[in-house]
Amino acid sequence: MSLLANTGVLLGKELKTEFRSRELLTTTVIFVVIVLVLFSFTFDPLSDEARRFGSGLLWLAFLFAASLMVQPCFLREQTNDTLSALRLSVSDPFAIFLAKLAANTLFLMITELSLLPVFAVMYSVPVVGVLHWLVLVFFLGSLGVSIAGTALSSISAQARMRELLLPLLLLPMLTPILIACTEVTAALLDRSPYVLWKGIGFLVAFDIVFLTALWLFGEYLLEE
Amino acid sequence: MWKRAIFAAIVVSLMGAAAYASLFIAPTERTMGTLQRIFYFHAAAAWAGMTAFSVTFVANLLYVWRRQPRWDALGVSSAEVGLAFITTVLITGPIWAKPAWGIYWTWDARLTSTFVLWLLYICYLLLRTLIEEPERRALLSALFGIFSFLDVPLVFGAIRWFRTQHPAPVIMGDGNSGLNPTMKATFFFSVLAMHVLMVFLIMERNRLEKMRFEVDVIRHELEVA
Amino acid sequence: MKNLGSVFAAYIIGWAVFFVFYVTVARRTSQLKDELDRLRDSVKKGK
Repeated sequence: MSLLANTGVLLGKELKTEFRSRELLTTTVIFVVIVLVLFSFTFDPLSDEARRFGSGLLWLAFLFAASLMVQPCFLREQTNDTLSALRLSVSDPFAIFLAKLAANTLFLMITELSLLPVFAVMYSVPVVGVLHWLVLVFFLGSLGVSIAGTALSSISAQARMRELLLPLLLLPMLTPILIACTEVTAALLDRSPYVLWKGIGFLVAFDIVFLTALWLFGEYLLEE
Repeated sequence: MWKRAIFAAIVVSLMGAAAYASLFIAPTERTMGTLQRIFYFHAAAAWAGMTAFSVTFVANLLYVWRRQPRWDALGVSSAEVGLAFITTVLITGPIWAKPAWGIYWTWDARLTSTFVLWLLYICYLLLRTLIEEPERRALLSALFGIFSFLDVPLVFGAIRWFRTQHPAPVIMGDGNSGLNPTMKATFFFSVLAMHVLMVFLIMERNRLEKMRFEVDVIRHELEVA
Repeated sequence: MKNLGSVFAAYIIGWAVFFVFYVTVARRTSQLKDELDRLRDSVKKGK
């Protein structure tokens, strides 16, 4: 079977698993809400500052949530050693990664989009006019987060203290995403288009670099 | 044994000579005065640190490809040495910055990416302590090292392109826009001395790593017997 | 020569970092060397 076909099948499995219980999505969404609420206690959310800080805090909340959300990604495959089964079932191990990162991207986007109205209300920012651009930025950012998160999740799953280790490894590595997404989101909410294309180009570059690295080295991450 | 002692003596002499040149031979810079002399140490250490991490990157790639323990040894040795150099950069930088510009730190592209680089390699070493099986540890840390190395230019780019609306006062580490010949010579001599020190430290640390590997092999032999 | 103190502080702290690193490595190496010799003796005795 081809790479895409394999990926499709595995992606179906990932989505089915999650939507059966929806526990990952639920807990992630609630976590982001909590983080946003807590952040709002640290400054005046209705001031002009909110616009400046708001996007940064939003993306920070997304990153924290993501670093928790990708934990089960490979941990789940350790019970009953389903990872070996997965490896045997596909000719190209990259399909496993593609499926997982596609699923993670989707879950992240669902989280982000469902929280966007909450954020808009809490911090009084106008999102309606730029919604399509926001969706694009969310997609590119989430994709980057998922690629790095999925790769590092497979590493931390094989180490001790994995719950603490994964955020530790992931968050510094996602600095470029945080910076770019924050700036672009802030620019969109501020209605200054200048940064937009630079940001999109940069996020695409980040996604390509990490996806290529994952493609080149992914099979070693899954070695026995 | 003697080769190492001689090498050590060379290292000390070079570092001493570089310090002497930086402090006494190089002319005093016009705008910053004596303080500018920190630049010879700070910037040279930065270059050597980057070289060390490049060695780590190459060693990581070679390990993933070849799976020979010597590349893992070189990888961890050069990473630790690189961290030592970047630590001095992160310490001497603020010592220079405070009297020069009134602030200890600024979040411009170079400083921030240096700091993130430092953090990522700390994580590299931390990851190694959390994996017990030697081959797994070597492979996984090599892969993390590769991802980290690819990330750093992206960090630099992100800040360069997206945070210029928060202007940093000056970029630290430049020091001399118009380097006069003596200053240039002093700087390159410092860079040379730092690189020789780097090689020496990597070799010493690598020796430790190889010894550790041998100990593990013999222990294993004894257990099996 | 103002700021001479800062210059000396920078050099001394910088060298201290390298020195501490080297001393740590040297100490661990000598400890490990002792262990290695001990183990090699065990292997010889075993044979």
